[in-house]
Amino acid sequence: MARGNPIDSVKGFGVTFKQIFKKPITQQYPEYKRPVYPRFRGRHRLHVHENGLEKCVGCSLCAAACPADCIRVVAAENTADNRVSAGERYARIYEINMSRCIFCGYCELACPFDAITLGNEYEISEYSRDDLIYTKDMLLAEPIKKVPVADRDLYDTPIPYYQEHS
Amino acid sequence: MSATELVTVTVDGREVHVPPGTGLVETALAAGVEIPVFCYEPRLGAAVGACRMCLCEIEGMPKLQAACTLTATNGMIVRTAQTSERAAEGQEATLEFILVNHPLDCPVCDKGGECPLQDLTFRWGPGNTRMTFPKRTFEKPIPISPAIALDRERCILCYRCTRFSESVAEDGQLVALNRGAESVIATFEDEPYLAPFSGNVIELCPVGALTSTQYRFEARPWEIQNVPTVCGLCPVGCNIQATTREGKVKRILSRNHPEVDEGWLCDKGRFAFTHLRARDRIADPLRRVRRRGFDVLSWDDALGEAAELLMQAQGRIVTALSGSETVEQAYALGRLMRAGLGAHTGVLPEETSPALDAFRLPLSAIRDAELEPVAERAPIVELWVKAARRQGAQVEQAGDALEGCRRLADKRNALGKSLRESERAILIWSGEEGAGGAHLAALAKELGFAGKPASGAFHLPCTPNGRGIADAWAAASDDEGPNPEPIGLLFVSGDEAAADPNVRALAERAERVIVNAMFQGLAVGWADLVLPGTSYLERDGTYVNLEGRLQRLRRAVIPPAPDELAWISKLAERFAVEVSPHASAVFAEVSERIYDGLPFGEVGEEAPLRTRSEAPAPQLPSEPAAEGKGLRLVRYRPLFSGPAVERVPELQFQRPAPEVELSPGDAGRRGIAPGETVTVTHNGTSLQLRARITKSLREGIVRIAAEHAGELGGTVEVAK
Repeated sequence: MARGNPIDSVKGFGVTFKQIFKKPITQQYPEYKRPVYPRFRGRHRLHVHENGLEKCVGCSLCAAACPADCIRVVAAENTADNRVSAGERYARIYEINMSRCIFCGYCELACPFDAITLGNEYEISEYSRDDLIYTKDMLLAEPIKKVPVADRDLYDTPIPYYQEHS
Repeated sequence: MSATELVTVTVDGREVHVPPGTGLVETALAAGVEIPVFCYEPRLGAAVGACRMCLCEIEGMPKLQAACTLTATNGMIVRTAQTSERAAEGQEATLEFILVNHPLDCPVCDKGGECPLQDLTFRWGPGNTRMTFPKRTFEKPIPISPAIALDRERCILCYRCTRFSESVAEDGQLVALNRGAESVIATFEDEPYLAPFSGNVIELCPVGALTSTQYRFEARPWEIQNVPTVCGLCPVGCNIQATTREGKVKRILSRNHPEVDEGWLCDKGRFAFTHLRARDRIADPLRRVRRRGFDVLSWDDALGEAAELLMQAQGRIVTALSGSETVEQAYALGRLMRAGLGAHTGVLPEETSPALDAFRLPLSAIRDAELEPVAERAPIVELWVKAARRQGAQVEQAGDALEGCRRLADKRNALGKSLRESERAILIWSGEEGAGGAHLAALAKELGFAGKPASGAFHLPCTPNGRGIADAWAAASDDEGPNPEPIGLLFVSGDEAAADPNVRALAERAERVIVNAMFQGLAVGWADLVLPGTSYLERDGTYVNLEGRLQRLRRAVIPPAPDELAWISKLAERFAVEVSPHASAVFAEVSERIYDGLPFGEVGEEAPLRTRSEAPAPQLPSEPAAEGKGLRLVRYRPLFSGPAVERVPELQFQRPAPEVELSPGDAGRRGIAPGETVTVTHNGTSLQLRARITKSLREGIVRIAAEHAGELGGTVEVAK
């Protein structure tokens, strides 16, 4: 047993004791949702052009960039009666396995058409793993739950927010 | 080679010694320096220097030179882009110029990720473009054939495809239209590119201008696995890569074996793989039920049923082989039938003769020969023969093969004489009456080829592995047995056998029939029990090609049903015969008996040709007696035929038309003009076919593709 100075122990308990009189910073999570950082990387979104055509052309570059290998793209050709995207090809199947995704954002970086971005949605737990495979329709749709996002201006300051507020 | 025969070239300050005549690109490679190229491809004949990517500075020449068009000469000092700023600037300018009109649709393009233009631009090109004008556009994609799509926007005019068409396949159908900046690649007169080797241009194209319609948007290079295997659709046995994605074959690429295929593939080998996903593919065992058609069985029930059928036949079993089984599969089946059940009768798809082993040569020897009488053609062999002719070899059509043999063996014949004198003469025989090459072997022996290592003979069989299965079946047991009469059970192995009219005729005489086939169309209707079959892309094992080369098949995809070896081994267990379900173990057993104990692992990715062996004297069958008057009918199996080709929509246009080929003399005598509908009669049955006049056909012979010949045979009469 290492013998220390008993005064040090008292000092240590002193720190603990001081906290008792401070207001707790616990946030009641489901009731209160703390605004996320504006560039927080959550659930993916697929985007469409203004004319309704999908931006994604099914090039699989996101799948190539993905370190978790969670994206599966199967492409097909646009036809006159079935025009889905702006280019020659489109993604017939676009799936992201959210249980494997590590939310690194490489897919977003790799995308040559800005078709995929990471949104702010983070409440994506499910009871079944199968439900965590997001299909193209799910990714194209607006997320149902809205996540509060912190004011961008708060963060785009010369001195970072965390330096000022900690 | 002695040092005096080499020339010394300095590339970027490094000295290399190469034989004179070596191209500068290869010379630089020997010095460890890469010269980037697009249009240069030695297999396409003389270099054209079209793309200017290989610009180099050469001492003594004022301007930059295209290295691919130059050959090494003594004392040459070459400076590539790595040491010469001028060359680097030239290459960068070339790439910038190529990219002026090249669309940057790499994410959409099928070539993206395996594109030489992408790679070379990344490594040697300018980082940015100065081009601000809109790029040139064309209508796209243009289907130049059902299997190939052309995108003119992406074309960089390297002329690889037109050079292939002109000087390798010699079909001349792909041409460069217009001049200068207006040049585009097109098919002659905008007709579809109908040629047996058209698919090779897809692989030659250094950009995404010529793409396969089957592979269009199917996969990207980082999502695929390439499995090195061997094509199992014809006896040449071209080496291929099967590209698979998510457990499906997506395309077939060539895997250059310089002695077998030189990197070319025929369209059948390249495009026929989609038969794996044919709509009538059988995935479960089926049993015939009276009045209800067929019932799906579980594998346990099916094996029980099969064992019972085999038992009931009491050894009166005939096994019909199709020639597309692997050596292992045929051996395992032979063990089950012959050792387990004492049923020694096997119907082989064709005759084979071991006598030709004494005249074994690699296929590439055809190109280097100086004299070759050819009876007929097979896919890749045809390219080798064309290459030989380009190199100045004398290629003779011997016409009717049997007759031709007799003629060549005659010493007074001019050709027969020069064949005896030549050191590099090659005999090629195809067609069904060659007695498996026995006639050819006898001829080669008489011509004295045994002592000439560069002279040889090739017999082109009809089935991919006829020789292999014949040997394996023979090796399965040392006993012999009488032919059963009546036949208790006919076991049909493989689709080709199931499609064979002779086998169907046997089935009429058999009490029960078990069919092992891939497609419902071939199995249902005459079988009591159907066991699902697999294709060459779904098996492990070995094939023996027409040279006698033992080549390794690798499983590219998992078949929808267990493969043949698996259930043969289970069935054999019930009859107390031990057969391994693994190809390697079965091969070890076969190899012991017929391949001198060659280990499975040594049948490598690029299989060597076994050396010539002392072969038994050819056993000549008695010649068929000439039948009556009239024209002799030759039923031939065209390249684009068979159960696999019938199930590939892209290849339908390549299939033979219902035609009868006549010699000009015979047609003239009967007043038949090309394209006319004629009636072909034999023994009271007649068929309406279109007439075609073929100059190379000898008089007295007509040719009809087997699939259109119906029940015709022997001698026929043709009339308007």
